[in-house]
Amino acid sequence: MDRIIRFDNVTKRYESADEVVALDAVDLDISRGERVALMGPSGSGKSTLLNLISGLDEPTSGTIYFEDRPLDTMTDNELTLLRRKKIGLIFQTFNLLPTLSAIENVSLPLRLDGNRRRKADRRSTELLERVGLGERLTHRPDELSGGERQRIAIARALVFEPVVLLADEPTGNLDSQTGAEIIALLDNLHDEFGTTVVLVTHNEDAAAHCERKIAMRDGRIVSDNGSNEDK
Amino acid sequence: MTDGLGLVTLRQWQQHRLRLALTIVGIALGVAVFFAVRSTTRTLVDSLNSTIEKLAGKSTLQVAAGDAGFPVEFLKVVRETPGVALAEPVTETIVETVSPSGEKLLVLGLDTGSRLELYSEMFDEGDFVVANPLAFSSRADSIAVTRKFAERFGLRDGDKLILQTQTGRKDLTIRGFFKSEGAGEVYDGNVAVMDIFAARQMFGKGGRIDRIDVTNAPGVQIEKLAEDIGANLPSGIKVLRPTLRGEALENTVSSMHFGLTIMSFLALTICVFLIFNSFSISLNQRWKEIGVLRAIGVKRRGIRLMFLGEAVLLGLIGSITGVVGGYFLAMAAVRVVTRVSTTMYGVVTTPQALEFDTRFALEAFAVGMIVSLIAAWLPARAASRLRPILALTNIETRQTEYGVNRARIVAGVALVFIGLALIRFTRPTVGMNIQLFYSVLMQVGMILLLPMFIWYGARLVRPIMGRLFGVEGVIAVESMASSPRRTVATVGALMIGLSFVIAHAAFIQSQKAALDRSLDKTLSSDVLVSSSEQLQGRSYHFSEDVANRIAAMPETETAAPMRVTSISFGGETVSLSAHEMDKYFASSPNLLDFGDPEQARSATARGEGALISTNLSMRTGLGLGDRLTIDSPNGSFELPVVGMLDYFRSQKGTIFIDRALYKKYWNDPAIDYVFIDVKPGVDRAAFKQKLQNALIGEHAFVYTHDEFKAWVTRLIDQFFTLTYLQMVIAIFVAAIGLVNTMVISVAERRRELGIFRAIGGLRRQVAKMVMLEAVTIGLIGLFTGAIMGLFGAYFLVNTAAKVVAGFTITLVFPWWIVLASVPLVLIVAAVSAFVPSYNASRIHIAEAIGYE
Repeated sequence: MDRIIRFDNVTKRYESADEVVALDAVDLDISRGERVALMGPSGSGKSTLLNLISGLDEPTSGTIYFEDRPLDTMTDNELTLLRRKKIGLIFQTFNLLPTLSAIENVSLPLRLDGNRRRKADRRSTELLERVGLGERLTHRPDELSGGERQRIAIARALVFEPVVLLADEPTGNLDSQTGAEIIALLDNLHDEFGTTVVLVTHNEDAAAHCERKIAMRDGRIVSDNGSNEDK
Repeated sequence: MTDGLGLVTLRQWQQHRLRLALTIVGIALGVAVFFAVRSTTRTLVDSLNSTIEKLAGKSTLQVAAGDAGFPVEFLKVVRETPGVALAEPVTETIVETVSPSGEKLLVLGLDTGSRLELYSEMFDEGDFVVANPLAFSSRADSIAVTRKFAERFGLRDGDKLILQTQTGRKDLTIRGFFKSEGAGEVYDGNVAVMDIFAARQMFGKGGRIDRIDVTNAPGVQIEKLAEDIGANLPSGIKVLRPTLRGEALENTVSSMHFGLTIMSFLALTICVFLIFNSFSISLNQRWKEIGVLRAIGVKRRGIRLMFLGEAVLLGLIGSITGVVGGYFLAMAAVRVVTRVSTTMYGVVTTPQALEFDTRFALEAFAVGMIVSLIAAWLPARAASRLRPILALTNIETRQTEYGVNRARIVAGVALVFIGLALIRFTRPTVGMNIQLFYSVLMQVGMILLLPMFIWYGARLVRPIMGRLFGVEGVIAVESMASSPRRTVATVGALMIGLSFVIAHAAFIQSQKAALDRSLDKTLSSDVLVSSSEQLQGRSYHFSEDVANRIAAMPETETAAPMRVTSISFGGETVSLSAHEMDKYFASSPNLLDFGDPEQARSATARGEGALISTNLSMRTGLGLGDRLTIDSPNGSFELPVVGMLDYFRSQKGTIFIDRALYKKYWNDPAIDYVFIDVKPGVDRAAFKQKLQNALIGEHAFVYTHDEFKAWVTRLIDQFFTLTYLQMVIAIFVAAIGLVNTMVISVAERRRELGIFRAIGGLRRQVAKMVMLEAVTIGLIGLFTGAIMGLFGAYFLVNTAAKVVAGFTITLVFPWWIVLASVPLVLIVAAVSAFVPSYNASRIHIAEAIGYE
């Protein structure tokens, strides 16, 4: 399959009194259209890995490639545009802008890209209807439930039809039923858009929806059912 | 528990040093201005009093009759009054020296033939060095100067000192020196002594002296002696203790004190906003921490104490810093205030070293502490009421902070209207403090309405910003509107600062407009000659001959002389204008605002009536037809009020009488102005030039009508120097508020900005957003400031002008200032937001999103 993300001997250290190695010489390939579950205990490096893919953070050493282009050769603007158009981010804490309504949150990346408001709103409405929030367009995050907020976050992540969707514990703040609905929604969207999904989760049920499961511990990949050589 | 909470607070301080610094600056600024105003005012008053006391020497009473002085014959009356030990005549003249620096010199005319016991501080034995006493007292050109003055200009015995007198330059010979102590200390040692006879001749005082310094014989009660002396003198000559003369001078500068006091309260109000702002933001930053503390068992009271304890500590540091800063600020302010009081009020002051007054320092310190606690009270209460469960969850679970609270709007509107109604319908005789309270009502009303202005302002501005600046504009407006805790305080600080500027600009403009109108009516002559460059100059006067010479010029149609002096009237010092009324009315036919011009003209010209200014009428209740009693050195006389006019020379009021009457009662033929109408076809500029040439040697200043108006406008600007300074401070303080808010806004919204960046917001888009938020806050601050400025101007024009001076002036609102403020506010906003916006664009996204 066509490779979309590649980690080449990537290490990430955090400088502090006790140096923390968040990722330790990680090599990883992720192909287009794959659904990957990243699992492991807290501090194993899952979220760091996600942050590095999206360019939110930089590795201490090694190289990360996105569509075969090294991220460290990209300017900040290029990385920002990559996140805007090619990578959809979904967070455990939703990370919506509290002052904006549902439709404004979703249309924000489009408007940042210079789209006219009407066009952006039309596209956002489509997506919000798609995630089941057609009736909640003008509500602000604090007027919605956790599940509804996460749906807004998903709609926002999909607004540019990104090639990669990075979801960090998307069900972590939700009850089990809502969590299951969100995972089902991600499944549907994956089927519909063919998006590559990288899902960080503690939840075995959520992970069960992914063909590939990668287990991490202490910054290293300890098992990967999609790789030829398990570590 | 206290230790633990102290530790938490300390860690917060370490992490948020900038917020800490800005809070301390806010407190220090308020305390500094408060302390500086108190110290400056005290120093000025002390300086006035000390000047009076020093000039009075050892005298226990002073006999005086306003600026015009009184006949020397009364010296005999005073000396013969039983109980008088010593009575010394004095003249006081401030003259310009003919030197490159044009230094001014206070020349005291004393009876140098006497032993000068009253002034022994200056003239201690051996200290009044006169090489040839005979020559000193026998030659009219003798003068003695202080050693300080002599040293400054390298003057020695026998050297010439050239003075610019009314009738030209006069060469004087230095024949003595005395100590720069007592009266010699006044005016920074720029003091000289002449024999009183010579001084009267030289400075055109004729048979008049300015005052008599008196000491009582041992065992004689001063009050009783004052009564006895007064009983032998006409009512126009007053006998006062020197300290009371000091109080009269304090009254003279009272409007300046009033302005300074308003300034200190303004600074404190803005200070409250800054501290409130800072603590509210601290609350926002510590949202989660407070949740954790509550969750692990800290009671509400503990949280409240933690915040208030922080306020006490910051108040302590800020107040001490403020007192120190205030001392330096006062050092600068004293110089400005002294200059204003000298040029505007003609009051001689002794530059005084600013003394550190412990009482004021303690007061300022207490004010700083109280203001800090008041400002921190609401945030502390809000912090203690946080629901731990909400605080522990994420930022998005926070409720929208407010909608528009209807009760608050009703209360705000009611307070504004009550304040306006009280200002409109209260009589000016009601005390200043009560009327100030009306203005406070309006301000509180406006503060209550602030959230409404922000809410609706945001709704109004949002589409415009969206259209102009895209989504960054929308988010900027939303971010501003959704955080009232952060925004209200800053908009409030801006509102108050800008309203101060706008209201005072309106007041100044209204006064200028009123004065302009008044000058057109009361002074419609083509050309004017003045004997002084100052409004209250008291040293230079023309002789009648000058008016006669001008009248005799072929171009002159009429030349109307005028004498301006001050007299005591109803316990106040009012201005007395003596005109040749027939000519005055001929030259200024629209003089009167009330009364029949023809009747007034003939009555006043016959010396059978007086005109009064409307502010005197308002202050005293005198109206048309009422009789006023005027005290003069030659006794009292009564005149009916036959006309009234708006006239702004004196804050205490002006009386206009015919010059013949003035000459009769004051024995004073001097004049200060000549109003000239030229014949038709005469070129005014050429005439002015000719006049200047004709008056060479005279201390004369020739103005055309327009030039005179421009000169008066310059004087007004000088008068308001302090106000302009206050405006600058107000804008500066408001700008600090904006910087404070923007810095903290970025810190507070780290996570939000992180999300913005994470989903594809470019650095420049983040910077633009922060910049636009500052701009929006600035514009709403300006809008509310303009509204409050309009109310403030209404207050100043309707109340302050009437209560302080009885002036009736029409409000002229300076829309141009509001419009001109738009770019200013935009620049201040942009500058304030520059560093915060740069920092915002550089935040570490992953950390910011994880930041809590």
